[in-house]
Formats: sequence, structure tokens, C-alpha cells
Amino acid sequence: MSNTILSGNDLSKKYGDLEVVKQVSVAVAEGEFICLVGKSGCGKTTLLSLLSGLERATAGEVRLDGKDITSSSEDELALFRRENLGFIFQSFHLIPTLTAWENVALPLFPIKMSSDERRARASELLEKMELEHRMEHLPSALSGGEKQRVAIARALINHPKILFADEPTGNLDSATGDAIMGILNNLHQEQGVAILMVTHEAELAKTADRLIRMHDGEIVS
Amino acid sequence: MNFHYLISELYYQRRRTLAAVAGLSIGIALLVILNSLSLAYRQAAHAPLQEIGADITVQRSGDVPKELSGIVFPCSAVTIKAAEIDKIEGLKGVRGVGRAVLLWVFQPQRAWIVLGIEGHNNVGPGVLRNAVVAGRFLKEGQPEALVEAAYARQFGIKVGDKINLAAKSYAVVGLVDASRATKIAVANLYLPLREAQRLAAASAPIQSVSPFTPEDANLLFIKADQEKIPEIAAALKGMFGKKATIATPDSLLKLLGSLFALSDRFTLAASLIAILVAVLIAFKTMAGNIAERTREIGVMKAVGWTNRNVVMQLVGESVVQCFVAGVLGLVLGIIAAFGLSFMKVSIPIPWEMSPTPHFLPHGGDQIFKTLNLPVHVPWTLGAFAIILSVVIGGLTGGLLGRNISRIKPSEVLRHE
Repeated sequence: MSNTILSGNDLSKKYGDLEVVKQVSVAVAEGEFICLVGKSGCGKTTLLSLLSGLERATAGEVRLDGKDITSSSEDELALFRRENLGFIFQSFHLIPTLTAWENVALPLFPIKMSSDERRARASELLEKMELEHRMEHLPSALSGGEKQRVAIARALINHPKILFADEPTGNLDSATGDAIMGILNNLHQEQGVAILMVTHEAELAKTADRLIRMHDGEIVS
Repeated sequence: MNFHYLISELYYQRRRTLAAVAGLSIGIALLVILNSLSLAYRQAAHAPLQEIGADITVQRSGDVPKELSGIVFPCSAVTIKAAEIDKIEGLKGVRGVGRAVLLWVFQPQRAWIVLGIEGHNNVGPGVLRNAVVAGRFLKEGQPEALVEAAYARQFGIKVGDKINLAAKSYAVVGLVDASRATKIAVANLYLPLREAQRLAAASAPIQSVSPFTPEDANLLFIKADQEKIPEIAAALKGMFGKKATIATPDSLLKLLGSLFALSDRFTLAASLIAILVAVLIAFKTMAGNIAERTREIGVMKAVGWTNRNVVMQLVGESVVQCFVAGVLGLVLGIIAAFGLSFMKVSIPIPWEMSPTPHFLPHGGDQIFKTLNLPVHVPWTLGAFAIILSVVIGGLTGGLLGRNISRIKPSEVLRHE
């Protein structure tokens, strides 16, 4: 069995009296593609946030490569995300004032590196996404599928161990969504990137190695 | 801080950038122009004294003889004893003292305003050596005189003529256009100081009301360290009491009556209000801009920007905006200062400082020193404006950045 690179043990999250994640334990193995499915409001996105360090758990612990990151500071978590994780959001969340290549290079901006080097790394990824002709375009000039491909390139710029994808096809038509899923499957199969994807579309979940169903803050299967 | 991102943000959000820059630049321009105007009025008020080479003039008012005949002192300028002058020379901050003796000489056919001057002294009416329009300047120890050019024209006096005062003859060696050179202690006949002192000491009407020795004077011109002027003026008032007329740049400034001239506090208060309004405009605009970028900042944090990275980026944007606003405000201020430098200002010279007998033609007329308002922006004010802008930028960006950097990415990145 492959090594576990990320694990969440007995994770709980409460907002006031409302417990949205209830003592959930999840482990992600190296190169594994996991789909997190469930109805809207069942706690999937919150669990994804807890595992990725975007949110702090009320109880439980998160370990990356065996290291407990639960008590890390905000800045330590930010560095942890920069070095180990990539994010793909349903609404793309590209910076509107930056061009495609600059958006891809956004995680590199705080790192001491020449602009040429950043551009070279962003260009390489955009070429893989077949967007080399869109490098200098602002997000407002890109289609939904192009925006999501830029977002995927951004998620890959730091060679992450795990990609977190929150409804990555939610804002796309089915054909474009299929194309995006093709890219994710390709990343998983050819490059061995572990993916933890939240979706409510059963069809998309079929491509995953493992399916985790959530209901009312708990894993049901 | 990523400079490329900073420039992109300011360029693509140019409406907001321009609003912030315009708001702050107007405030900075107001600050610059208010302070330049205040400074200009101060400099203008200094001009009447500066042109006679002094920073302070001292006179003592006193009694006049029962009959205005022969040689008398004007009531605004009676004896200042030699011992008092020595004491003034010893005051801290006094760099030089010029003495003069102002006399009214009444003759059956003519009245003279006579001023005895130290020809070699650069402090006081000795500066008239540059205003000679015909003949030459006075030589010390010689019985000779200079006549005011307009007066000479009026009465047909020429170089080489003789003028008799108290049974002594004075050769006219030159004509002087004193009215152009100075508005203080203007006379129509100028003698070497020694001669005027001798005339005053020999005058019975003067001795009857204000005992005078040949070492005394009745007008003093003081050159002083600028920062010591108020201190010296206070010491002089203490020395001469209520009968002193101490003219300083500040006392002349008060005669101008302008709001800028009246009070440093007004300038300070107006500048503070201008800056406060500018800061509020800049702060509000930037706060609006940053609030609109909550998600963007959430993305930055999600992909690995630390709080410090976020704050530094926002501080950078804010500082650049405010620096540009500072430069623009300074340029606007300089342009406005140039425009205002064509404005004329008339400084009223108190009668006491250039006394003319009221019964003579134009004797009671108010004298003004009229000059272009010397409005300019000193480099120190310019540098202050730029530094202030940058500080405002740093503080605004830091405050707003620190606040926004605390957001949790998960809260702002959830999809609708």
C-alpha cells in the first residue's frame, strides 16, 4: 500500500453550536485520487478546508508526512500550503488585474526569484494546459474553461504533493468540465499527483480511486 | 512585495488609484500653498527692515518742545543714551547695531528732515550708499550732505550747492534716491552721523525735553540672529518700557492683517485640516479598494502568502499611490505658488518709523512698502510634503493591510 501523505484524525469543526464536521478521519495516500461527495451543506468543503490548513479544526489533528500541523501559526500554515498543496476552486479565483502567466506565478511572488524564472515556470505549465497563446491575457478575456486551466496551472506551479479541488467543474458546461476532468486524471495518472476533490456529481466521482460520502458532517461510506 | 503586481493593480484599478491620488494630492497641494503663503507674508513683512540692513529697529517716544522751531526730535524718536546702546550691543544674538540721528530742522523758509547716518555701517541707513543717483556718497568727518533726489528736484538743489544748518554750511556732495531704497527713516537731507549728533547736542529745544550728548542716537537698527529676534525684542521692551517703538518682522506682519499673517496657528490648523481631509479621502478610497479585494487576498493567502507578504504588498501599493499624490500635490503647489507670486502686497510703515511733520505737504500720508508677494516653495517644505505623503501611505497601507490580512481564506473563498 502507498504511503499516507496527509491524514486528518478525529476532525471536528463547530461554528457556535453548529457542528459541521463530526470526528471525521481521512487519510490520503501518495498519488491517490479521492472524491468527496455528498449533498450541499454536508460539510465536504469544510473538511477540505480543515485538511488543507485553510481552516482550523475545533478538535482533532492534521498531519502532513507525519508532521502535526494543527498547532502551526497562520504564517506557518501559509508556507505549508505554498510548499505542499495546490488549490483549484469552483469560481477559479484568478486575480483580475494579473495576466494569465502572472496568475499562474502568483504563489511564487513572495519567493525571491527573478521575474524571468517565474515567467519560464508559468509558461511551461500554460503550454501544458495548451494556453501558451493566452499568456498575456487578463482573466476577463478568458473563457470559463481557460480560466480553470490557468487555475490548475497555478495550483501546479510549486509541484504540490496534493491538489485540493473544490467543485472544479461546477461553473463549467459539461464539455469543458469533461476536459478539466481529463486534465486532472492525467495529472493523477501520469504525474502521480494526489487529488482530493469535492464534487456533488456522481459521474465525476467514478473516475476517482476512492469515494468518500459525507452526510450531515460525518463520513457515511 | 512584488513590484510588477503592484503596478498592475494600480494600473488596472486606475479609477480608484486616481481617486486616491487626486484626494491626497489636493490635500498636499493645500498644505504646500498654505505654508508657502504664510512664509511669503513673513518674508514680505521682513522686507522693509531687510532693505535697511536690519532685523529690528528701536526708537523711544518722548515729549516735544513747546515750540517747533530750530532743531528738534520728532516725538517718536527721542534720545537713546550711548550706555543703552552699549547694553543692546551686548545682548545675546545681536550681530550688529547701526545708529542714526533723525532731526526736524525748522528754518524760516524751509523745513528739513535730517538724518545723520553711519556711512561705513551696513546695518542701518548706511545702505543708502547704493542709492546715490548723482555726485558721491558722504565721507565721514566732513561737513557735507546728501539730498533726497525728489526733494532736490522740487527745490532746485544741485550737487555743489551749500546748505546752512545751525550756522554751519554743508556742501551737497550727492543726490540720493532714498525712497526707492528704503521706506524707514526716510529724510530729505543726510549728514554724517557725527554732524547730526553735534547738531542735536547743540540744540536747546532738544536739550530742554530730551538731554542728548554727541555719543547718543535716537534711531537704532539691529542685525540679529533670526531665531533670537523675539527674545531680543522682548529684552528691548523690558529695557525701554512702554515708550519704546520696537519694529520687528512680526510687528510689521501684524499690520498686514491677512489671516496668514495674523497667526501661525491659523496656518497650522488649516494645514492640519487639509491633511486630515486628504488622509480621510485616501483612507476611504483605499479601504474601499481593499474591501473589494477580500477574495483576492483570500486567494493569495490560500496559495501561500503569509500575513506579512500581504501587508507588505498593500503597504507598497499605498506608498506608491501616496508618493505619486505627494509629487502631484507638490507640483500643484509650486504652480499655485508661481501664480500667487504675481500678487502685490503693501506693508504699511507706521508713521513713527518714518516721521514727517503733519503740517508739511503729505506729512500725514500713510507710507507703504509695496512688493510682489515672495511666494515660493522651499525645498524643506517640498521634502516634508513628500515624506508626509509616504508616511501617510505607509500608515494607511499598514493599518488596512494588517486588518485585511487577518481574514480566513476559507471564509472568503467558499463558492456561492
